[in-house]
Amino acid sequence: MARKTVFIDFSKCIECRACEVACEREHSGMSFISVFEWQEMAAMALNCRHCEKAPCVEVCPTNALYRDKDGAVLLAPQKCIGCLMCGIVCPFGIPELDLINKIMGKCDLCAHRRAEGKLPACVETCPTDALIYGDFNEIVKKRREKFTEKTIELAKTAERIPLTGV
Amino acid sequence: MSERLVPVVCPYCGVGCRLYIRSVDGYPVGIEYAKDIPNISNELGKLCPKGNAVVEYLLAKDRLKRPLKAKEQGKFVEISWSEAIKEVAERLKAYAKDDPNQLMFFGSARTFNEPNYLVQKLARMLGTNNVDHCARLCHAPTVTGLKAVFGAGAMTNTYKDIEEANVIFIIGHNYAETHPVGFRYVLKAKERGAKVIVADPRFTRTAWFADIFLQHYPGSDIALINGLIHVIIKERLYDEKFVRERCVGFDEVVAAVEKFTPEFVEKVTGVPAELIIEAARTFATAGKGVITWAMGLTQHTHGTENVKLLGTLAAICGYQGKEGAGCSPMRGQNNVQGACDMAALPNVFPGYQAVTDPEKRKFFEEFWGVELSGEVGLTTVEAAYAADKGKVKAYYVMGENPVISEANANHVMHTLEKLEFMVVQDIVPTPTMEYADIVLPAAAMLENEGSLTNTERRVQWSFQAVKPPGEARPDWWILSEVGKAIGFDKTGSGGFVYNDAADVLREINACTPQYRGITPERLKENLAGLHWPCPSEDHPGTRVLYKEKFLTPSGKANLAAVPEYKGPVEMPDEEYPFLLTTHRYVGMYHTATMTMRSCALKKRWPEPLAEIHPDDAVKLGIKSGDWVKVVTRRGAYPIKAKVTRAVKKGVIAVPWHWGANVLTNDALDPVAKIPETKACACNVAKITEEEARKLMEKLPPLIPKIEVVRG
Ligand code: SF4
Ligand code: SF4
Ligand code: SF4
Repeated sequence: MARKTVFIDFSKCIECRACEVACEREHSGMSFISVFEWQEMAAMALNCRHCEKAPCVEVCPTNALYRDKDGAVLLAPQKCIGCLMCGIVCPFGIPELDLINKIMGKCDLCAHRRAEGKLPACVETCPTDALIYGDFNEIVKKRREKFTEKTIELAKTAERIPLTGV
Repeated sequence: MSERLVPVVCPYCGVGCRLYIRSVDGYPVGIEYAKDIPNISNELGKLCPKGNAVVEYLLAKDRLKRPLKAKEQGKFVEISWSEAIKEVAERLKAYAKDDPNQLMFFGSARTFNEPNYLVQKLARMLGTNNVDHCARLCHAPTVTGLKAVFGAGAMTNTYKDIEEANVIFIIGHNYAETHPVGFRYVLKAKERGAKVIVADPRFTRTAWFADIFLQHYPGSDIALINGLIHVIIKERLYDEKFVRERCVGFDEVVAAVEKFTPEFVEKVTGVPAELIIEAARTFATAGKGVITWAMGLTQHTHGTENVKLLGTLAAICGYQGKEGAGCSPMRGQNNVQGACDMAALPNVFPGYQAVTDPEKRKFFEEFWGVELSGEVGLTTVEAAYAADKGKVKAYYVMGENPVISEANANHVMHTLEKLEFMVVQDIVPTPTMEYADIVLPAAAMLENEGSLTNTERRVQWSFQAVKPPGEARPDWWILSEVGKAIGFDKTGSGGFVYNDAADVLREINACTPQYRGITPERLKENLAGLHWPCPSEDHPGTRVLYKEKFLTPSGKANLAAVPEYKGPVEMPDEEYPFLLTTHRYVGMYHTATMTMRSCALKKRWPEPLAEIHPDDAVKLGIKSGDWVKVVTRRGAYPIKAKVTRAVKKGVIAVPWHWGANVLTNDALDPVAKIPETKACACNVAKITEEEARKLMEKLPPLIPKIEVVRG
């Protein structure tokens, strides 16, 4: 099963926070993606990685965390007891405590949107395409292809440059 | 329960993104991205944070729901629509009878074309050309400058051309932050291998993507652009054929830029000479180039000259009249272009037809069936001074907020107090409303329908998605009622009898040459809209302007020679040693009337921060987070500091949404009449939080409490 998730190309992020606002709108006022300003100028959005070996799933005492058919790590609110374990073991500190309901909340890759065949809202909205929804292997393959294409392009132009004065 | 998905245009910036509003029984519940509409300006339905949060401000608790009449300043009683309309009509009529030039009308770049057409028609039929809107404060120099060089004052190309360019020169414009979805096209060009040159006094989000970054002092643009032209001419990098065949005035340009050697320019602008040379070479040799700018360039006393020089720079490189090239001024609000096209301006009739031209005047006299004034009216800042002198006595303000948006806000407030009569038509209480005599509650953009013109001349129809609250009514309806009550109750173009917004657009089609073929029927059918000029109903619209000739009388571009370098009128001195400049935040918009009523945006952009260079901060003993007081000759403003290398030494950068215009200078550009909001001298000192609170009390409240009293 191809496991898809949201990747970020931080070289393209303009820190507009559209992804945060979109996520917040789709998840009744809580945003599960956060944009950090990094060294004054660079910005980076951080969200759940839906890890291959997800420590959050493994540690959850009530099995509130589980995987859906697309491989997304979801949280069943009725089983969550708010013990905070998942938040502690997640290397990125992703699962958050919903202060009102006293249960955890996390990115569900917009399960309701995926059910309708749509992309997660953050990906759909990102004006610069910094967020990419896809399978790790596919993305890496595409990047390699692009790199090769560019190299060939460059080699072609280099041939055309007359080497006068060298 | 009926759920609907209605296509609308984003009510915020000039990119004019499309989206769907999801509503249940006329109540908004969410949005959906417009992925399925081809060729719109926001490819694949992308939206910035403001577009994502559009539903929130519609639901603001303090939306205006009923007409109000003032008892005393800031205290109102509710009245009925018929009372309100009657009172407004009678008062306007009385002033017009006396002397129509006692009246001043404000159109709005935040509402549809139709109400803007109607507000200027009302002013003109009452006998005055005193009508203007906030484009005066942002892009007036773009209109006058581009008109002088190319013959018309609009973006000469479209977003597609930015995507196809090989070089993009961004000046005085934090593109990534002000128009994130538009910036997408810059990044796409860059991915293709295009070079990006950014000139800005601040190291912005946009500068981060620059191949060449020119950090010049605020207000030193003339020197910088002349410097680029100097290098291009000296190294013969310009397009000789284009200059010979399609431009006039080249020799004057050659003479004018003579003294702007890279070394001289380095001294004036603070940009290293080598960088200027590199930028000039990169720009001129790219083959296809786009120049884009915004308020950093226009809000100066020499704004018009700045724009003229950019036009000249584009023309000598041959970057006009072809795809992938051109001049792209970026408009801030969703309908700045449209409000200008509709002539919410004191010097022209719809379609930029001069009021001073007897032939054009004759056409409109016959069209509207009244005698018209041929005297150019007052601009916004001029009106404030005329009101101060008692010459202008009544304001009709539609969707505007001069207390926050005009330069030298303290003076504006002083003037508004002096007015005898003021009508404010808006969707929520604004600080300006505190001075109103009559408040007319308007439906927000998404609660009614009409056409809008985005920054790339694209006219689109936005449909009604939700019901307006209470008795709030569409802008066109209010103006048509006022018009009829004044006595302009004929049907046809001579009156104000309209059934809907489409009716008004049909009248616009009849009198505005550029819009002749842009009928409501076509727009409703074609959601991607049409680019004007569109002279007939079978015309597909125009993507790139000036393919064959320019719109100047000779058909050639009038290159501009600006031999004298002028900086800001107010330069730093001993008393005010810093240079103040203003900017904006991606999540805030205009005077924040809408964005501050959205939780998601307010949470992320809660307060303004004054950017200050670390060296200056050390000297003044300021750390990030400290309260400081910024003082200019016009006012004082408390704000928290953010110490950052993003600004040049000696420069203080303050976002303007929270009322920083109490500081700015209202010295005017002589041609475009835009105030120099972007640069003035200031002083900065650390203060305590308590002092800051005290100072804050003196500022106009962003979200005022309009008190409604009984009877
Ligand atoms: S929407 Fe995209 S560009 Fe904007 S902050 Fe999120 S990741 Fe960055
Ligand atoms: S919550 Fe953390 S540990 Fe769990 S899947 Fe997401 S990133 Fe991995
Ligand atoms: S870029 Fe402008 S038009 Fe597009 S969503 Fe953002 S504010 Fe709205």
